[in-house]
Amino acid sequence: MSSFAAIAAVLSVGMITYASRAGLIVFLADRPLPANITRALRYVGPAVLSALAVNLVAGGKGIDGVEFVEVAAIGVAVAVTAITRNLIAALAAGMTVLWLLLWLS
Amino acid sequence: MYDDDCAINDQTGSAITLAALRAAFPLFIPAIPFGLVLGVAITNSAMPTAVAWSTNIAVFAGAAQLATVSLAATATWLTLVATAAVINLRHVMYSAALSPRFNDQPRWFRWVGPFFLIDQLFALMSARTEIGGSEWRRFYLSAGIFYFSSWTIVVTLGMLAGSSIPTEWRLDVAPAIMFAGLVVMGVANRPGIVAAVVGAVVCLLALDVPNNGGILVGAISGVIAGYLADVAESRRAEQRAATARHR
Repeated sequence: MSSFAAIAAVLSVGMITYASRAGLIVFLADRPLPANITRALRYVGPAVLSALAVNLVAGGKGIDGVEFVEVAAIGVAVAVTAITRNLIAALAAGMTVLWLLLWLS
Repeated sequence: MYDDDCAINDQTGSAITLAALRAAFPLFIPAIPFGLVLGVAITNSAMPTAVAWSTNIAVFAGAAQLATVSLAATATWLTLVATAAVINLRHVMYSAALSPRFNDQPRWFRWVGPFFLIDQLFALMSARTEIGGSEWRRFYLSAGIFYFSSWTIVVTLGMLAGSSIPTEWRLDVAPAIMFAGLVVMGVANRPGIVAAVVGAVVCLLALDVPNNGGILVGAISGVIAGYLADVAESRRAEQRAATARHR
């Protein structure tokens, strides 16, 4: 990625982030969002983050980019997060499983 | 109403700053590994390192930053920006929830304040109902500036560590693990699980959509599925309540 494209991307992402935080506070101080919209917005987090995780595992190589060790590490991390509600523990467990499997193979 | 404009003297002012820092710090601890992972991702990014680092200042949103720097290798400008926009939709929720607290605030603060509105600050400020006016503003800015500066420091430390860690350690997998963990943390009910599973499965099926478009296809399908599951669940609950009344 060229410097120019990278700077353009960072500035656009920055503006979009600021707009999503400031829009309602600056322009719509009193009007609440419609109930249906807030209801749908609640599911944006889980939906986009899990899609993003899948995409990062594939690493731009389609289904061939998905390695067993990565899937195993993520599976363990998901289970650990569900039990402990602790992201540090999840990251530690996931990476440990990844290293163990890489070392064994 | 709260009294505003020079209503607080220096002593209460620093007491509020101190209270803000004390409340803000514990919430920052879970963000530390995320910041380190982001730092490593910045050193591995297809973007020039300085540009990727500048997301700390220009974006200041962990998930959007991590997506931006780690997708740079495979995505076009448009998918990158669209993905960040979808990730940031939760901020719309935060600003909707907090906007009434900004009604009695000066105009400059309405413009400056939202820049700092990360997950932690939202959690902190939505719970801070006992203060208002200039006290609330001072609390908000103290905590916000604390998060902003400590975040930048932690990410920079991650970059220093990242450049000395060998690639065999496979730290490139850490962002995916982080996002998967965030999914679990963010799921609060059954429709949330539906949204996450549909988002992941559809993205997996749509991996061949060019320019990482699968992320958006997956995300939008997940949101629709979560919304429908939510509607179905509350309808079932209403029916149960109705049959209970008839008995």
